[in-house]
Amino acid sequence: MEPLLRAENIAKRYESGGALGTTREVRALAGVSFSIFPESTLAVVGPSGSGKSTLALCVACLEPVSSGKIWFAGTETTALNAEEMRAIRPSIQMVFQDPASSLNPRWSALDLVTEPLKIQNRFNKQERREQGYKLLERVGLPRGKAEQTAAQFSGGQKQRIAIARALALEPKLLILDEALSALDCSVQAQVANLLLDLQNDLGLTYVFITHDLAMAAHLGDEIAVMERGRIVELGTAENVVNAPRHDVTRRLLLATPGVHAAAYAPQAV
Amino acid sequence: MPRGRILRWLIVLGGLHLLVACAGFLAPYDPIQQDREHPYLAPTRVHLVDAQGQLHLRPFFYGPRLKDGSFDQFEEDTSKPIPTHFFASGARYKLLGFLPCKVHLFGTAGTRLYLMGSDGLGRDQFSRILYGGQISLLSGLLGAVFTLLMGALIGTLAGFFGGWRDSLLMRLAELFLALPWLYLLFALRAFLPLTVSPLKAFLLVIVGLATVGWARPARLVRGVVLSAKERDFVRAARGFGAGNGYLLRHHIVPETSSVLLTQAAILVPQFVLAEMTLSFLGLGIPEPAPSWGNLLASLQQFSVLVSYWWMYLPAVAIVPFVVGYQGLANALHLDEAAEKIEVQRGGDPS
Amino acid sequence: MRYLLHRLVQGVLLLFGVSILTFLFSTLAPGNYLDEMRLNPQISSATLDALRSEYQLDRPLPMRYARWMNSIAHGELGYSFAYNTPVAPLLWVRARNTLLLTVTATLLAWALALPLGVWSAERRGRWPERALSWFTATLLVVPDLVLALGLLILTVRSGWFPTGGIASVGFENLSPAGKAQDLAMHMALPVAALVLSALPILVRHIRAAVAEVLDAPFLRAAAAHGIPRRKLLFSYALRAAANPLIALFGFSVGTLLSGSLLVEIVMSWPGLGPLLLEAILARDLYVVIGGVLFSTVFLVAGNFLADLLLYWADPRIRIVAGAR
Repeated sequence: MEPLLRAENIAKRYESGGALGTTREVRALAGVSFSIFPESTLAVVGPSGSGKSTLALCVACLEPVSSGKIWFAGTETTALNAEEMRAIRPSIQMVFQDPASSLNPRWSALDLVTEPLKIQNRFNKQERREQGYKLLERVGLPRGKAEQTAAQFSGGQKQRIAIARALALEPKLLILDEALSALDCSVQAQVANLLLDLQNDLGLTYVFITHDLAMAAHLGDEIAVMERGRIVELGTAENVVNAPRHDVTRRLLLATPGVHAAAYAPQAV
Repeated sequence: MPRGRILRWLIVLGGLHLLVACAGFLAPYDPIQQDREHPYLAPTRVHLVDAQGQLHLRPFFYGPRLKDGSFDQFEEDTSKPIPTHFFASGARYKLLGFLPCKVHLFGTAGTRLYLMGSDGLGRDQFSRILYGGQISLLSGLLGAVFTLLMGALIGTLAGFFGGWRDSLLMRLAELFLALPWLYLLFALRAFLPLTVSPLKAFLLVIVGLATVGWARPARLVRGVVLSAKERDFVRAARGFGAGNGYLLRHHIVPETSSVLLTQAAILVPQFVLAEMTLSFLGLGIPEPAPSWGNLLASLQQFSVLVSYWWMYLPAVAIVPFVVGYQGLANALHLDEAAEKIEVQRGGDPS
Repeated sequence: MRYLLHRLVQGVLLLFGVSILTFLFSTLAPGNYLDEMRLNPQISSATLDALRSEYQLDRPLPMRYARWMNSIAHGELGYSFAYNTPVAPLLWVRARNTLLLTVTATLLAWALALPLGVWSAERRGRWPERALSWFTATLLVVPDLVLALGLLILTVRSGWFPTGGIASVGFENLSPAGKAQDLAMHMALPVAALVLSALPILVRHIRAAVAEVLDAPFLRAAAAHGIPRRKLLFSYALRAAANPLIALFGFSVGTLLSGSLLVEIVMSWPGLGPLLLEAILARDLYVVIGGVLFSTVFLVAGNFLADLLLYWADPRIRIVAGAR
């Protein structure tokens, strides 16, 4: 089977400008390579600053890579121009960590969810409304609340709106950048289950970014562990959790309650 | 609720502006009509009880009569009470600028009622203050509109596109901000022809104000645009395939509205005052067009200062507007701050 | 230290930019302004020709600018056609008069505003503070022009103070004490106008800055140690509230030359204000440019002074600046 997404040696460098004209170069990603197969979930874990969010933005084509290549469904996304990019965009969508920031608080839930349709010029106005209601219902938000502004919803509800919006263009790949991290524990479980259901119903592929190894093990088929811009361990969820090979993984496991006891056994390097 | 406060101040300001807008109706006389026989008349007193102790239902006044032995001092001619008529027919004017009308709130036949005295050429100060308000306020409002348009455009370009454009524009803004703006306004006025028609002078004042005042709003708008650009909903829209035009129109520019409104409330009174200052010094709206500034110009003469206190009244006219605009600016500021807190908290209604 | 040097260089560059900008604005003047001078019978055509060649008024802008910069190096700042003298000495004399006024007014305003601001921050909500709030709010809505004219009318009708100028007739014959008194009497009105217009803003800012600090825990701890209230207010609270106030002070210094423009004109005080107005009406453009530049220097210097004071007063800034 062909992978849906393939990354080859991606690197991302930022220039941070200091006072008096000095600039510092920050290497957010270096030598990152992986593949994701259709209808599976790749969970990416790591401590803060490890480059997870940068990876999310690069894979979603929202930030250009400094070097390396990315293929999506056989097309090299790093070689596309703006016009071609626009055609690909519906297939790769992203859900951000903080719904208060990713949803314009002044807009209504309906407007938010139909924005992608408006931008891509699909359907007419009436049909868009209907689509909007359907999208909201699919994530469990009743039609009656559709006209409320985003600011009036709770955190969990806002994230549902964000997910509904990400599904509006019927993407194949969904990148969830710490999408559950800002939610309360109980709400996290609900939304996680919603994501699993949606994946089954719609045949979606997920890249799930998180700092929570337990969540990664729960949702992911494969786990990639990152540290300082590099992938230090990559394998199936079971292997990574039961037989960690890298120090970082082991440290993450120790910090995560409720994972398999084998993690606590000291390993020879 | 700060919104309620904003509304209240808007109503107050709206009322004040309406009064001035209806100058044609409220003013009894044409502002440029002279009466050289009655210069510097003190405000006419309106009576209800006449010298014989009789009560009149219609308010009346006495015409001016020269005092015995004097040729420039006037007193009331108590022999002949002159009634005032309400909704009287008087000089032609255009209501709100386009409806031709002849009816005034009150008026007199023949002898004029100088509610706020007359100036050196015998023109009615009350009418001139009302009409002058139109010009002064309009200068302030249009000046503020142009300044904010320029500032918003430059600030948005600088903030959204960044890079060398941003650096260049912000260096330029710094330059303009480094200059004391009244001095700059004067200097700008200095380099333009001194004697121009009232209309041209009006336009010059507005353009001058925009040239001098764009820098601060530009900086503020740029700040808002910079932070809006980084918001995830902008990133998400890009992810849906949105181009720059869409982002600017639907997401970035709406964010600037509150800072622009607050700036408007701050700039309008400042600019009205700037026009008044320029006209007072003879650098603004020229005679015979009235403006609150040039109405005060006669106060530069010592004799006027000493003897004719009512010539100071145009200065007082601006005070209620300053009060209104300051109140509005404070209320808008509070609302802006409250919004910021709400956004930070994640917009939760609790 | 390098940070301060950087700010100094920025300031100088800014002044260059400002001079270019004002010179650019002068190109808006229609035609050759010497043509208007020709209408003035007091200036002979020989003078006009000499001026034209010396200042290269027929030449393009960059050459005029270069010539003007040259005259700055010679301490001249260009030539005043109306007064027939180089601009710089003219400006100095007037600037001295302006500074006499504004320095006095600024010191007085701050001397009044500091205790008033601190005191009203402490007694928020109680009626004396409310009364002060009302008073400052009323002053705030009265624009400079209205205030200056109003004071002028009051003085003229009451005759308490002289109504214009800097000295009475026969000033030279007075004793030193008499001279000082005469000067003070002449200064009283313009200084009062300046102080009254600056006071409400200063009091507001000081009150806001101190009020913010008064809620801080460290102050409550100090009070618990038994430190007397006056020391608490002035040594502790004021020092902590210093940053925004230093910036405000820098702004006050910056407007020393430009803030009194209107008051000087209205009250006939022979400072930069009336000179600028005259120059505009007489189309004496080098004086206008020189005047604008002069007051800009002060504005930039005021900001730099604020930076300097902040650097010295607040150790946090030293640390951040040093880390860069």
